[in-house]
Order: sequence, then structure tokens, then C-alpha cells
Amino acid sequence: MKTLSYAAFAAALVAMPVHAEELTVATAGDQNMVDYINQYLGPLFEKTYPGNTVRAVGTGPGDAGSQKILERFDAQAGAKADKWDTDVAVVHEKFVGPMVTKGYLAKYRGDIDTGKLVTRDNAKMALGTNVDGYVMPMFNSQTAVAYNPTLVANPPKSYAEIVEWAKAHPKQFGYNGIKGGASGVSFVMGWIYAFGEGDATTLMNGPFKEEDTKKWDKALKSLADFTTNATLTPGNAGTLDLLSRGEIAMGPVWVDMFYSWKADGRLPPDMKLFLPAPGMPGQPMHYVIPEKTAHKDLAEKFVALATSPKVQAEGIVKRFNWYPGIDAQHVKAELDGATWNKLFVDISPEDLASKGKPFPIAPYNNAILEAYEKSVK
Amino acid sequence: MPRRLLGLLLVMPALAVIALLFILPLVMSAVGAFQLNGGWGLGNFAKAFDLYLNDILFSVGIVSLSTALIGFGAIAIGGYLTLGAHPVAVTILRWLYRWPMFIPFIVVGQILRTFLAKNGMMNNTAISLGLMTPIDAMSFLDWRGIVIAFVWKQTPFVALLVAGAMASVNREGIEAAVNLGASRLRVLVEIIVPQVTATLAVGLILSFVTMMSVLSVPLMINAQSPTMLTADIAFRVNAYGDYGVANALGLISLVLASSVAWIYLRISLKERA
Repeated sequence: MKTLSYAAFAAALVAMPVHAEELTVATAGDQNMVDYINQYLGPLFEKTYPGNTVRAVGTGPGDAGSQKILERFDAQAGAKADKWDTDVAVVHEKFVGPMVTKGYLAKYRGDIDTGKLVTRDNAKMALGTNVDGYVMPMFNSQTAVAYNPTLVANPPKSYAEIVEWAKAHPKQFGYNGIKGGASGVSFVMGWIYAFGEGDATTLMNGPFKEEDTKKWDKALKSLADFTTNATLTPGNAGTLDLLSRGEIAMGPVWVDMFYSWKADGRLPPDMKLFLPAPGMPGQPMHYVIPEKTAHKDLAEKFVALATSPKVQAEGIVKRFNWYPGIDAQHVKAELDGATWNKLFVDISPEDLASKGKPFPIAPYNNAILEAYEKSVK
Repeated sequence: MPRRLLGLLLVMPALAVIALLFILPLVMSAVGAFQLNGGWGLGNFAKAFDLYLNDILFSVGIVSLSTALIGFGAIAIGGYLTLGAHPVAVTILRWLYRWPMFIPFIVVGQILRTFLAKNGMMNNTAISLGLMTPIDAMSFLDWRGIVIAFVWKQTPFVALLVAGAMASVNREGIEAAVNLGASRLRVLVEIIVPQVTATLAVGLILSFVTMMSVLSVPLMINAQSPTMLTADIAFRVNAYGDYGVANALGLISLVLASSVAWIYLRISLKERA
């Protein structure tokens, strides 16, 4: 009897699906990114491909989170590990270039059928590096200027008008500098696009020329003057905090964060957004797959699911108010008009197309940040 | 001999942990501070001073001011616990003053961020009590916020040490002074404090070093310029991936911290002698 039960047990073990795998997904970004994978994408994937499990690892908010993932890859490449411990990573645009250049990533977009649904430029070039085929955008985010309509009846339309307005209303414009989150960084980059003496398109597309970095002195000097007349806020959330308490009337924010806060009731419902001319930067978050993942096939299935129109509609647009990663027309078909229009209440698709800019390419980006540190003290 | 070997074996794990997790990273970052693109030199330090001299001075200023205020606060608390005449007040103070010690710096930053804002709880309370008008309200989320956070968090730690030392001061001297008509303030300043200076100095030095290394408070309250060195180090790494200048800044703050740690060592050597 005992032998029989052992045999039955052994048979059951053999019959179990042998390909049960654990997929490790490392994600940069705030807790909401980890929650998105743990609470939505992971369970959905486990249901679609039974027997497999998804483990999400959050590496921390902002660039620091992506930097950690890059360093993890550096370490495993340095140790010449055969199989890396990450199967899918979600990283900021800025870090994709170095990862591709160092040969860490798999060129997988051609292998998955959702790969065809992305035609936007930022899936091909990431801040000056050709990453075509190595990335799938998870979502696109955009910065804009939020304002309180009860305090600002006629919002400025351009950077030049913001300057005028801020002069007339001291300390009513708030931004978070460059050390407290990317909405402030984005405002500074937009400032250089608007007032720098070089060509903004070169900043966005390259090539990098050392002499161009000398053309920002006047713009940065005026930014330093502007800043003494503005309020410096503690972080991306800090700007929204100050807006909601009426301490400032205007300030640059992430569009998705703005809508989420509004939906949660953390911002008064009448707050509005505008995109000043000539434009402000936004950036995608990308799904990447390391070349040396132990579960390449499954990782590709995961990204394909995550970038399918249904998931992009339900997860990215509906839950988080992010602009979709894949081309908009595929996602729009999956959503009702009201949900879709929510994304474009204040900023029209035309505005987004004409004034939604990429960040400058990496060397210009760093040079501008450093020039800011030197000038705005 | 085997006994000595055994002792050595027993201490090895602890030594290895210190060597691998503290000394090695310290040496590596110290070496990294002098590493440039393809060579060695002082370029990282030149850049660190060029960009962050204000922040270095700011950090020293903020931490020194905080240390001084912590010293006063700790003496005041310790003094009242030792000399306080009202037993209920002493009990309440004894029970209350330690609480901030158990609150992490990041939480302190979060609390003060909403407390000290222009329309935060502090100003709102003052306004509703009629102490000031809304137009006079201003935000404390700058260097003052950092100082308030540091003092609030670190005073209890120093007060704990100082109060312990004060409690063990010989009561006879105190009573003699009181009998001769000295006021309590005078007893505190002239009799008690001189006897606990060593403990006070140790507490303040440990606080100084702790505050030099706090990242969360400047990030939460004021990550602008000027800001604390820790925020700059994080920014160098996260925004530029530049460990060279970050290491140089780390080394600079190490020098600042160790200059006071040196005083600590001298005190503890003197105590042992």
C-alpha cells in the first residue's frame, strides 16, 4: 500500500506541468508601478499562461530606480553570469541607450506581434541612441503646466508669457528645480528649447557638439532671475501639494500624476493644464528584455501581453491616465469615448503632437543640468 | 595556542563583515574619488568645489547650527529632569521627550513637510488662534525646515545621554549650592554642565556625524540650491551616473565628519587614561 501511494505521488509529480517558471520583472518608478504589475499585469499573465508566476521587484522611484537596474546588469555582465536574474525590466528612456550600447538587451520587438503596433519615433531612438527593436514602450508620459483657474483667469500660452506672468505675480509660479524630480527638469529643458540660442532640434536629435553647450548662458541667467522670483517646491508631489493648498497658482507637473491626484480628490477638481509653446518634454517608460534572461520565450509573451491593445486600454489609460505606449488608434478602439477623452480634457491631441517634445539627447541633457547647477544657485 | 586560534576564529566573522562591508567600500570610494576618465587626478574635486562649494558651506552651517541648538535643548531637558521641582511635570517630560528618537528621519521629513508649509498646520493654527494674519504666513520649507527637523529628531538622543550623566552627578554639590542661595539656572550652568561636558560633547559629535549623512530630510524639505551634500551625492549618481564627483563629495563630507570624530576619539582616550 505504502509503495503504491509513493508510486502514485511520483506519477502525480511527473504529470505536473514541468515548465512552471517564475518570471522576474524589475521595475523602476514609484510604488504604483510595482502595484500595477503585482495587482494587475501579473495575475492577468498567470491566468493567461497557467502554471507560471510573476515576481515584481521595485527598484525605486525616478532615475535612481533605472540606474539601479543598469548597475545590476553591469554587475552581472562583469561577473560573466550565464543567466541573469531579471527577465523583464521597466526602465526610463535615458537608461535604454547605455543598455543597448553595452549589448545587454535582446532585440525582441520583431518577435512579438504587438511590435507592429508601435510606430512612434521614441521607440526607435532613445535620447540619441538607436534602440530600434530593443524596446517596447509601456506608456508615454508628458509634462505640462498646471494652474489654478480661480487665481489665473487667462493662463499664459508660451514660455515668454509665463515669464511675464511670473514677473507680475511674484512667488506664484512654483517648480521643483532639478534635484527634486523630473517635472522640474522638464521645465528647465523646455526653457532651453525656448530661450537657448542653439537649435532645439539639434538638442533633441543630435549630433552632440561641444560648442553648442556655450549657447545657453543668457537663457540660464534669465532662468536664475526667474527662479529668484518663483517658489521652489519639494519634488513633483510638492508642486501639486502647493497648488492644492493655494500657495502657488501655477507650476510644471506630470500629466498622469495630475489626473490621478484629481481623481483621488487630492487636487481641487477645477485645476487645469496647459502646454506652453514651444513645448515641454515627456518620456516613455520602456519594457526591455536582457539578452541573458533564463526565460526569453516567457518574457516575450509577458511584454506582448502588456503591450496588447486591451491591456494598454484597461491598465495604462483607464487605471493610470498614462498616454498609451503603442500607437493611439489601436488603444482608442478598446475604450469608450468618455474614458479616452479624459486624457485630452485640457491638452488636445494636436497640442500634444506639436508641443510634446522629447528630452534632449543624453550628453546635452547632462550638460544642461550641469550648466543649471552652475548658474542657478 | 589552540585557545588563541579559537578566539581568532570566533572573531573572524565579525572582522570579515567589517572588512568587506565597511572598509572595502570606503577604500573603493576613496580611490574612486581620484579616478578620472583614463587616469588619476584631482579633477573630481575641482568639479565638486566648482559646483558645490555653496552646498559644502551650507551643510557645515546647517549641521553646526543644529548641533548648537541640540546642545541647548539637551541641557534644558536634562537640567529640568535633574532639578525640576514639580514631580508631575518632570514625569510628563521624562515620558514625552524620547518619542522623536523612535521616528525615522524620512517620517520626520514627511511630517514637517506638511506642518511647516505656508498653508500648513503650524501657520493655520497660528492664524486660527489670531496670532497672525494669513498674509503674513510664510513657508519654512527651506534651511529652517532642515534645522527644525534635525533638532527635533536629535535633541532627545543627546538629552538621554546628558540626563543620564546629570543624574549621576554628586547631589551634595548641588544641594550645597542651593543652600547658599544659588538659583536653579545658576546651579545648572555653573555646577552641573561643567561636570557633564564630556558626555555632552560625545552626544553632540555623534549627532553631528549622523546629521551629515541624512539624505531623506533635505530631499523631503529642500532639495534646491543650496542644499545638503547628501542630496548632491544622490543627484550626481542618479542624474549623471557620475560616481567620480559623488565619491569626491563623499570624501569631503567624510573629512568634515572625521574632523569632529577626531575630537570624540581624543575625549574617549582621555576618559580611559
